[in-house]
Amino acid sequence: MKPTILVIEDDPQIRRFLRATLIAEDYRLLEATTAEEGLREAAARLPDLILLDLGLPDKDGLDVLRTIREFSKSPIIILSARGQERDKISALDLGADDYVAKPFAIGELMARVRAALRRSTVLPADQSQTFGNIEVDLAKRIVKVAGEEVHLTPNEYRLLQVLLKNAGKVLTQRQLLNEVWGPNHTEQAQYLRVYVAQLRRKLEADPARPRHLLTEPGVGYRLITETPE
Amino acid sequence: MSLVGARWKTWPSGVAAIAAATAVALILRPYLAPVNLAMIYLLAVVAVAARADRITAAITAFASVAAFDLFCVPPYGTFAVTDSEYLLTFVAMLAVALVINRQTDRIRRQRTETADREARAQTLYRLSEALANETRVFEVARAAAALASEALGAQVVIFLRDGASISFDRRTSDHLPVPRSEMTIAEWVFQHGRKAGLGVDDLLKATALYVPLRGTRAAVGVMAVVPQGTPLFDKGEREVLIDLMANHTALAIERTASQNTAERSRIQMETEQMRSSLLSAVSHDLLTPLASITGAASTIRRQGEKIPPATRDELLQSISDEADRLSRLVRNLLDMTRFETGEVELRREAYPLEEIVGLALRRLDALLKDRKITVKLPDSLPLVNGDEVLLGQVFVNLLENAVKYTPPATPIEITARETDSTIEVTVRDHGPGFAPGQQEHLFEKFYRGRAGNATGTGLGLAISKAVIEAHGGTIEAFNHPDTGAVFRFHLPAIRVGQPA
Repeated sequence: MKPTILVIEDDPQIRRFLRATLIAEDYRLLEATTAEEGLREAAARLPDLILLDLGLPDKDGLDVLRTIREFSKSPIIILSARGQERDKISALDLGADDYVAKPFAIGELMARVRAALRRSTVLPADQSQTFGNIEVDLAKRIVKVAGEEVHLTPNEYRLLQVLLKNAGKVLTQRQLLNEVWGPNHTEQAQYLRVYVAQLRRKLEADPARPRHLLTEPGVGYRLITETPE
Repeated sequence: MSLVGARWKTWPSGVAAIAAATAVALILRPYLAPVNLAMIYLLAVVAVAARADRITAAITAFASVAAFDLFCVPPYGTFAVTDSEYLLTFVAMLAVALVINRQTDRIRRQRTETADREARAQTLYRLSEALANETRVFEVARAAAALASEALGAQVVIFLRDGASISFDRRTSDHLPVPRSEMTIAEWVFQHGRKAGLGVDDLLKATALYVPLRGTRAAVGVMAVVPQGTPLFDKGEREVLIDLMANHTALAIERTASQNTAERSRIQMETEQMRSSLLSAVSHDLLTPLASITGAASTIRRQGEKIPPATRDELLQSISDEADRLSRLVRNLLDMTRFETGEVELRREAYPLEEIVGLALRRLDALLKDRKITVKLPDSLPLVNGDEVLLGQVFVNLLENAVKYTPPATPIEITARETDSTIEVTVRDHGPGFAPGQQEHLFEKFYRGRAGNATGTGLGLAISKAVIEAHGGTIEAFNHPDTGAVFRFHLPAIRVGQPA
């Protein structure tokens, strides 16, 4: 059975093209135009994924997100307007899985939808993972680039591990710092950046044009393990 | 206190002088007549009178006559002043002591006065210098209070006007050094333009002296002086200094306030002008892509199946491209407006430059696909202390600009190096470079390089400049000696401890 996607969005034009694409791609579609309706649908129909617009007329999108997270673990992708960087970060910290900024191309959104659905159904196995020319053996803790083993410091490896576990998903700086260094270090973003830079130098062919370890400006980082279609 | 202290300090010098004179007199006594021995004592009196206060001088004169009589006039060891001539000696010595003492005293006083005046001038100079650098009323008041406090050796706090009255809450120090109950005194001083409180009206039992700050038109505030420790100036000098400082400060505050008003109206005027030029420039840019979109979309709707699939794809592609262009334009306009209105808030953090450059390269992936971009950043480069999103935008704008004005497939280079506490970044292309006279206008809003070829908004470089300047940096553009255009700018650097 095809996954069910709930769209909570008040703008009819955006709903219209989302509907066209989602139906064409064989998803089952639920629509809500207000926060209230969205919460009701999310609770009653238990969708597999939720597309949530942050700028709803009747309620703050972040509140909607918080309420949904109280009863549902379904992936949530935020649709945000420009200039809502802070809201974006808050949304991710509150448990949203991803975001796309308006205006967005539908291809990009669908890729995020697929990635989020995949993450929610397949549990990452403790085994070897390969992306590009990089090979990570999670059991033996060995990282190879183009067949050559590279040495990572323990923290670099932890960082890569966390990113890999959430492959395709944006992780905020706070989330990464918390996962790698612990809850007392969530304000030391500059260390995180230095580590990311080091990791890029070890893994990426051209660290100034990374293909896997991508920066989400003002938000955090995302590890891309699949080559875009 | 100070006078008693001075006396206690100088009388030993009198004793010492007489003792010395006596010693010399005793040695010379066999050879000289008593009258000449008196001259030795006179020398001692002169020496003491020139340095000590008047009372010490008089006592020394008297004591030296006594010592002279005791040791130099026979019979030695007794006070037997029978000769009236020694009475004359005493009178002469006393007169000399007093006259000399008075003269030196005057010279000394003149000297301290000059020094005081100099110190006062210095203080006022520093005050006006400090105030000239400030552009906000509150900062002016704060600087003045700090300086006055230092110069007067007192705690000084300035209360500023709030509407028609004075407010204890608009003050220059966090801590309020006077009781709130003295608000009424301050208010009275403010309303009447006269000093009150400590030293003026002791009945009030105030803890501070309240001095009005009178501008040329109206009172701008009140300065409260709470004495503390030893004053730097004596009482009269202090009063003069307080008045002068109050006067200076009041005028500076008034001047700053009126400048701010003038500045506000100038900005308002410029904003109006900008708005109208923006409207005329932008309406064209907004309408062009909209025309393409409307045209293409309506064609597809009307003609439907009659259009060959290839043409249909082209039309759809142009809708998508034009929408992108529109979105870029709106984004630039929003950025620029936010900068103009000061709404942009820099979120400065430490970032590797590599990351910022990488961000821009990724955003421009499609645009740069047939270009060779060389990025040369030394591994040892410190971090950039800046706003990642805005600085990323600077690189996006510079690269877009380079692509727009250079032949297809020509390379672009991004390099950086560390200069003292900044990172110097250069973006160089291999196109024709700038035409003469072009550089001056590059960073102006709505300026476009070459007529006819301009598809941009004319805002990219203006935004880049605004962003870099907001970071305290500068940007310049020049032609490379060989070929191509170069943009060079400086960004603040920061070093963080290298983690393990």
